[in-house]
Amino acid sequence: MTVLTPKPTVLPPSTHPFAEVVQRLEAGGSMLPDSPENLKQIIGIYKAYAVPMDFYWRDLLYIAERVFLNPLPAFKYFPSQEYLDLPNSYAGDSADLRIWRGEAGAHPELLEFMEKGETGRMPKLLHHLWHDRINMEFAEACMDAMFWHQGMGGRFYAYLESDTYKANADRAIKAYFKGNPLMLGLHKLFPEMFLEQVRKLSYYANLGLFWEVMAPVFFEMSDIYDEGGFSGVPAAMDFLVNGIFAIAGRPIYHHVYINGECLEIIPKSEGFTWLYEAALPYVEAVFYRTAPFRGTKSYNAQAGQVPAEQADFHYGILYADVFPVGSAGIPPTLLMQDMVHFLPPYLKEIYLQHRRGEEDQLIQLGITFQRSMYNVTSAVIQALRAALFYPLDDPDPEHLLANRRFFESQMDRFLRPEARLRDVQSQDYR
Amino acid sequence: MLILLLLLPLATALAMIVAPAGPWPRRLALGIPGLQLLLVVRMALQPAADLRLEWLPQLGLDFHLGQDGLSLPLVGLTALLTLMTVAATSLEMPRERLFFALVMATNLGLQGALLARNGLLFVIAFELILIPTTLLIAIWGHQRSRQAAIRYLLYGAVSGVALLSAVLALGLLNANGFSLAYDDMATAALPEGSRVWILGLLVLAFGLKLPAVPLHGWQPLAYSEASSPVAMLLAGAVSKLGAYGLLRFGVGFMGDTWEAWAPLIAVAGTAGAVYGALNAIAQTDMRRLVAYSSLGHMGLLLLALAAATPLSLQGAVAQVLAHGVISSLLFCVVGLIEAKTGTTEIAELSGLLNPLRGLPFTLGLFLLALMAAAGLPGMVGFVAELVVFQGSWSVFPLPTLGCLFASGLTAVYAVRLFNRVGFGKLDNAKAFYPATTWSERLPALVLSALVLMGGLWPPLTLGWSESVTTPLARHQPLIASLPANPILQELPS
Repeated sequence: MTVLTPKPTVLPPSTHPFAEVVQRLEAGGSMLPDSPENLKQIIGIYKAYAVPMDFYWRDLLYIAERVFLNPLPAFKYFPSQEYLDLPNSYAGDSADLRIWRGEAGAHPELLEFMEKGETGRMPKLLHHLWHDRINMEFAEACMDAMFWHQGMGGRFYAYLESDTYKANADRAIKAYFKGNPLMLGLHKLFPEMFLEQVRKLSYYANLGLFWEVMAPVFFEMSDIYDEGGFSGVPAAMDFLVNGIFAIAGRPIYHHVYINGECLEIIPKSEGFTWLYEAALPYVEAVFYRTAPFRGTKSYNAQAGQVPAEQADFHYGILYADVFPVGSAGIPPTLLMQDMVHFLPPYLKEIYLQHRRGEEDQLIQLGITFQRSMYNVTSAVIQALRAALFYPLDDPDPEHLLANRRFFESQMDRFLRPEARLRDVQSQDYR
Repeated sequence: MLILLLLLPLATALAMIVAPAGPWPRRLALGIPGLQLLLVVRMALQPAADLRLEWLPQLGLDFHLGQDGLSLPLVGLTALLTLMTVAATSLEMPRERLFFALVMATNLGLQGALLARNGLLFVIAFELILIPTTLLIAIWGHQRSRQAAIRYLLYGAVSGVALLSAVLALGLLNANGFSLAYDDMATAALPEGSRVWILGLLVLAFGLKLPAVPLHGWQPLAYSEASSPVAMLLAGAVSKLGAYGLLRFGVGFMGDTWEAWAPLIAVAGTAGAVYGALNAIAQTDMRRLVAYSSLGHMGLLLLALAAATPLSLQGAVAQVLAHGVISSLLFCVVGLIEAKTGTTEIAELSGLLNPLRGLPFTLGLFLLALMAAAGLPGMVGFVAELVVFQGSWSVFPLPTLGCLFASGLTAVYAVRLFNRVGFGKLDNAKAFYPATTWSERLPALVLSALVLMGGLWPPLTLGWSESVTTPLARHQPLIASLPANPILQELPS
């Protein structure tokens, strides 16, 4: 396991507006200040995030692989038992790369919640209609964000336009609608229609496979913390950095199961990897940009408030506003609702002590989530630095300067007034 | 029972001096107006009571108390708003016992003035109100409260002198002999020419109290600098004594002269309504906005009094009751907002409807109060304004149109204010407001319930005064000591 060590001070202090943060990154730290409460908050929220995430990845794969092109996917949020039992590739005895020491099937807290919800035992459909469930809408919004922004590095998006992909998708479409002249006729008339839907489903698979990794990572971090294993925020970030490198090369693919046959729309052999085709696009889309309709602020398209350039979107969780406007709110609002069911007691205690206690718990945990995502983003930045630049303890000042320029260019993205980097430096931001 | 209405606040005000600190002063201050309300209900169910004790006959001063359809609803309103004022007072209020003692003294003065059947007794009660209210503004007010209190005191002193002069003139110039009993003042035979300046003095005295434009110099500052509970009492109850005085002394005792000068009063009322509304639109502070809104609504009241038709006078009484409740509710809610956000500056507030970190419940009540002030159907303000306009239209169509326009402007500033304060987004840097508790919300809830009840059941504000306003409209002298039926029997079913 790689351990980041603080670098010796050989460069003059940075003059960047976020010089303090840059200095912390150069010392192997996180954008989030190192404090016991920050550590408690981020680990607590990782645990609360991991449980619904365990549902998200299973259902995303279920939709991508089984629901597929169902024209009336009314039950797509009801994954089959097979997918609830689907062994996580990074947990359980059968895992080829074990990250979490827990079981490979769905997390027990998730299963318990799915059965009873907040309201009590009742038919699944009533739980669903009452929104007493895991809100897959959040996961779909993240997928939509990745799909909508596209082209954020990697080869995945370009591949979706390739002839190979089109041929694979066409084969799957025809197999799925076999014996259905209406749908096949539509496919003939509008060949792009179902193809575009399959592209979207490939992003379902992409995100599902991304979260299949992240859920056990977060479970493991929670377990380590409960055992007193993390000394501070940088240690938690290091765990993530090391995890990123360990699983960077895991495959991203899209298979679909039709009448018992597995069709490979994106085969593993294409060599798409977890870090470049899923993790980085996900961070870029969801942390920085997000879809423009998630409600971080009110939009007035006529007033030119929707940016023309995709790169100008800054509505991700790192920029999200604390206070909801209208019915929306700090994105992803539905995730807050999902996480609140699985908060560890120590995190609940923190919320009860501040602001309006239980009454505004959703906002408080939203801000905790924001903190934790600053930590995850820090891990990604450190991982990129490690992959593209130089070690933090490199003796060559030129190399250290290149590192600094990289860190400063990353910090430039948080100079916009909407960015919450400045806010998360204070413990009073709740 | 009449004497009890006065003895209770008097005894309480004195008891506050020796009461031990703790929960009892507040409980006592809550209990007394509550008891007064029960007494008012009982009095409304029984034939009108009358109490006459000789006091200083050589000065024309009798301790003469009575009730009629004009005074009793206002006695009830005073009791209710005293109760709400005490309930809206913060538990952390410094010098709590002194505060409650002064509130009780104000209540005593108000009830005394409303129940008085002797001119000098009325003047004494009227003057009694001035000192405690001045202290209430000065001690518990905001930054400029002392300036506001001094201005209030000066205007009040002028008002008192004018009233005393008018009352003495009514007694001394009476060709039937010196008497300050209401019945004698109502039928006084006054020398020609004296009626105009006596009416002028009365309009000055009560116009200052109401206040009516252009005699309102004290009002915006006093309402905005007083603490919210005090502003509730001032706007809801104390100022209504001005309306009561104009109706009782102006329309009641000087009917013909009043009629002659009515067009001028109607125009002044309309000007006041428009002036108040336009100023409210221009305000950047919620308190001052509510203050000017209150001023504008007093213009409608003047119009109704000037028209002096049976309907308009009933509308005037209804407007007094409705505005008393609405303005108290507005100040109560503004006080809650200030207590939680630390400001009433409109520019500094936004997004208070935010469901998690805003004050959505309080803002909901605020919206209700603004809608009621704008005269929306289903609220008590609509009933009062409709009857005022209907009753005044036949006599003063143009001023009525002017007041209708001003009433429309109420919706402008109400929507503007609510849009800025309620909608938009909370400021990340400032908006860590504590939530309101149910005990803090309770006074506003009670007043809101009354706003809705009055709108859905108009007899709550209408009909009480019919036995008084009908003869007044016919320019019959207002004889207070006529035997009267229980008031509730006079309410339309």
